[in-house]
Amino acid sequence: MDATARNTAVLEVRGLTKRFGGLTAVKSLNLDLRAGEIFGLIGPNGSGKSTAMKAIMGIERPTAGEVMFEGENLAGLPAHKIARKGFGMVFQHSRPLNRQTVLENIMVALLPDSLFMLFADKALTERAEWIANRVGLGAVMDRRPPTLPFADLRRLELAKAIARDPKVVLVDEPFAGLTLAEVGTFSELIRSFRDEGRAVLLVDHNVKSVAALVDRVLAMYLGEEIITGRAEEVMRNETVRRVYLGGAIETSARPETSFKDKVPLLQVENISVHYGKAQALDNVSIHVHQGEFVSVVGLNGAGKTTLFNTISGFLPYSGEILRDGEKLRGTSPARIARSGIVQCPESRELFGEMSVRENLDLGGQHLSDEARATQLAWLFELFPILKERQAQLAQTLSGGEQQMLAIGRALMMQPKILILDEPTLGLAPVILELLSKALEKLRQTTPITVLLGEQNVTFALPHADRVYVLEHARIVWEGDPGRFAAEAGEGYL
Amino acid sequence: MSVADFFKSRLFWIALGIVIIASTLPLYVSGYILGLLTVAYYFGVFAMAWDLLFGFAGEVNFGPTFLIGVGAYTAGILNNQYGWSVYLCIFLGAMASVVAGFVLALPALRVRGPYFGLTTLVAVLMLQNFIVVFADLTGGEIGLTIPDVITIDAGANYWIALGFMTISAAILYGLSQSPLVLQASGQDPVQAGALGFNIVKHKLAAFVVSAFFSGLSGALLVFYFGTASVGTVVDVAVGVQVIVAAVLGGRRTVLGAALGAIFLIVAGEFLRPTGELATFIVSTVALLVILFFPNGFLGAALSREARS
Amino acid sequence: MLALQILIDGFAISALYALGATGFTLIFGVSGVLNLSHGAIMVLAAVAAWAAASLLHVNTYAGALIGVAAALVAAFATYFAVVQPIQKSTRIPNEEKEIFVLTGTLLWGIMIQELIAYFFTNNAKTVLPIVEGVVDILGVRTPQNEIFTALVCCLVIGLLWLMVNRTRTGKAVLAASMNPRGVTLLGLELTSIYVVVWAIYGILAGIAGVLLGMFLGVSSYSVGPLTASAFSIVVLGGLGSVSGSLIAAFVVGYLETLTAYLISPAYRTIPALLLLVIVMYIRPQGLLGRR
Repeated sequence: MDATARNTAVLEVRGLTKRFGGLTAVKSLNLDLRAGEIFGLIGPNGSGKSTAMKAIMGIERPTAGEVMFEGENLAGLPAHKIARKGFGMVFQHSRPLNRQTVLENIMVALLPDSLFMLFADKALTERAEWIANRVGLGAVMDRRPPTLPFADLRRLELAKAIARDPKVVLVDEPFAGLTLAEVGTFSELIRSFRDEGRAVLLVDHNVKSVAALVDRVLAMYLGEEIITGRAEEVMRNETVRRVYLGGAIETSARPETSFKDKVPLLQVENISVHYGKAQALDNVSIHVHQGEFVSVVGLNGAGKTTLFNTISGFLPYSGEILRDGEKLRGTSPARIARSGIVQCPESRELFGEMSVRENLDLGGQHLSDEARATQLAWLFELFPILKERQAQLAQTLSGGEQQMLAIGRALMMQPKILILDEPTLGLAPVILELLSKALEKLRQTTPITVLLGEQNVTFALPHADRVYVLEHARIVWEGDPGRFAAEAGEGYL
Repeated sequence: MSVADFFKSRLFWIALGIVIIASTLPLYVSGYILGLLTVAYYFGVFAMAWDLLFGFAGEVNFGPTFLIGVGAYTAGILNNQYGWSVYLCIFLGAMASVVAGFVLALPALRVRGPYFGLTTLVAVLMLQNFIVVFADLTGGEIGLTIPDVITIDAGANYWIALGFMTISAAILYGLSQSPLVLQASGQDPVQAGALGFNIVKHKLAAFVVSAFFSGLSGALLVFYFGTASVGTVVDVAVGVQVIVAAVLGGRRTVLGAALGAIFLIVAGEFLRPTGELATFIVSTVALLVILFFPNGFLGAALSREARS
Repeated sequence: MLALQILIDGFAISALYALGATGFTLIFGVSGVLNLSHGAIMVLAAVAAWAAASLLHVNTYAGALIGVAAALVAAFATYFAVVQPIQKSTRIPNEEKEIFVLTGTLLWGIMIQELIAYFFTNNAKTVLPIVEGVVDILGVRTPQNEIFTALVCCLVIGLLWLMVNRTRTGKAVLAASMNPRGVTLLGLELTSIYVVVWAIYGILAGIAGVLLGMFLGVSSYSVGPLTASAFSIVVLGGLGSVSGSLIAAFVVGYLETLTAYLISPAYRTIPALLLLVIVMYIRPQGLLGRR
């Protein structure tokens, strides 16, 4: 591959914008993708990277902007037309045709878009076999997807994407669900695509896992570009670190010995959870004492939400979860919530067409009228803006106000353990201040126990007595928040 | 699988065996049973056409009798009003169904889920109302008498039906298997699009093919009966039977739908002595099958094979 | 005076349609089920009321109550025997559960219809009205029964509105229609809410059925058209929107009455169907449709 070929921009994206109603997911994105390079689009959840990739592929229609490919603007064309021009996409979730063999699945990708192609010819079959061998599926060509392990299903997705020899390969979250060893083999495969002269665009939330693989990186936040450059440069960039990691951190942890319960209030012991064939949690154990504030930090896809949904009773698991020494297995999610383990999920799950007050009242419907009134008054002191807006419909509130409402509603249930999943996601710094103060107040004036899941370490650490780091479905570090930066922080980005 | 593979497969030989045995029936079986099976075979084509659409569109057509009815009544009316030849009328009936399928597909394919089902169901209601209101043309609720018939001989009718069903099965089954593309569009539209396939085009084609066979079979059926009525080719209840037949036989197997249809018609006959309870019993059995054996006869058998 | 007659008759039939459609929409809005056995349950209620009066010789009020009770039982049976098993089944892929529920309720409806035909024959039954006699409204002679029907429908719908918007249980039901996950997170068992909703549905369908039986009479043949008209109205108004259903019910009711009086009773159902077709083409989610 000679130097000139390496420097040609195969794909030029200019001013790419995508709006969903009032929400702007991608704001005027510019990027150049060159032949023979691997380019990474990284950012946390909600940064717009997946939307940007879908807009380039034509799965989402761009609101504005140009996608120039070989002198032609592809923006606005439907996906099947863009695909035929030389684009291949590897989706995050494998969706093979379960009733067809691996070989037949690949052959589908090779067929022309014709109504009259009734039977596949020999040349097609041979090419499909070649591709199968190329991605490492040669041995299982005649087997059907349900019988294959997860990694092979991902290989099949790669095969389908490169089947028609695309010039541009888009890969969405390439390593999600793979073991460390598999990540290595897949990285090799993707590198080989690049070495064939293709342009590869990767989308991922984790710079670290992609750093070794990409040639250049564009870091995104809230739909916009922060910086583009080589991986190490981007990781050292001030803004990137602040936005993904947070700045200097002050901690005020209470030592574990200061919590007096004989048995930890919540014990999660060796739980493993699978989504289909992908492992979402691998032998995870944590515990939380009565009155303790514990933070589980980890990037998207690490498993925080899975962990919380498992504790709340929504997912099947192996292992045990105990509350006050009693097993929670077999208890319905609603019952777990009633028993005092209340979750405020990342998606908030508000009742949009009901007012703020109605949402809060529903949270407090287990209480007597008097108790509810008292609790409501207390809550309005904690979050005065909710009192102001109590007659407003929940869906008309701003993001920050909705988060406060979600937390408030959970607090109306008088939880013993409050689980907060990514409360700061997508919120402006001034709101984070408010939330931070509220958490501080809770910590100092109430006996509540809090389990906080966050990727924003700056927000999480000051409120933590203890920290767990969750990475790729495993707990990789546990300890005092003060020691986090030194011991776990470097590897975190 | 390729053409060569299919002809070697067990499925082909079993199917061939069944067809050969079936074609010998007129030699030793009563005219009454032949008549029953004739109806069952036409019904089998209704069910297979439905299953083809279900497999590709990925949506449930709640009004297969719209397509069937248009074909049947067009053929019948043309013969009744103008006395044109049987074959011309049948052909035109099938064409009318194709047009109807096209017209239905346009709004239906723009919507998903319950709206698709409702759109198709509304089409049936429209047709039903239309037939009842314009009774001079259509015979209204009493039915339309069709002057010509294909033949009176029970054996001949049986062979025509059997032949038609076999050929239709071969074509419909072949379509369902070979263009893997069509399979893809039924199961994952986003992926199919990203792989370069214009799914709307393919779904429309599936609709039209389903319409053609439904209409053709409907036209043949009414020429066999000598009458066309709402109760036999338009009513929602008939449509439900078509769906149940396909589900009983196994969704997306196409051939299973034919089995399911034959089973339903024959079972309905066996239950005739129970009088009005017959429909009740068949519906109950169908409900139980849905609850406990949702994959149907062939579906369960084939999925076991896929796992091996 | 024709105008007044149309106004009154149209109102009565619209109110009746509204009651039936409201129940249908409620079930869809909260539990996502398009209950195609709706017509069967309504007819069951009417026939039960008739049977109670003519076979057991109870008075008309008791007969009506028995009719509503029958619908309540049938509604629970629909949920527990058909809908819940399918929704909880591990053998049916999740994407297809809606289809199976649809087909399942359709079959269930046919089963009920056939049982009614078997035990009580296909002949039309009229339930003895609670209120008899004729009243003169500005020159239009109107059966008191008709006024009674209209009033009861409006009253019931009004009570339902109050319940959903003012009571704790009602708000939980409303919340469940917006966000089932949210409701579970707040410690409310969805199953309990569904039971409440199906109970409300049973009562609504029962009252609508009994009133229909008094007003126009029913037979096992009415099942199909009743289900059809209920969901035509619901589709027109927008699946999941109760206010949409109410508006659509009156639109359809008046369209039918106008056609019956001004053109011919035989063509009654045509304009509504035409409207439905137009709406499906232009705005498939209905007037006020949400989902």
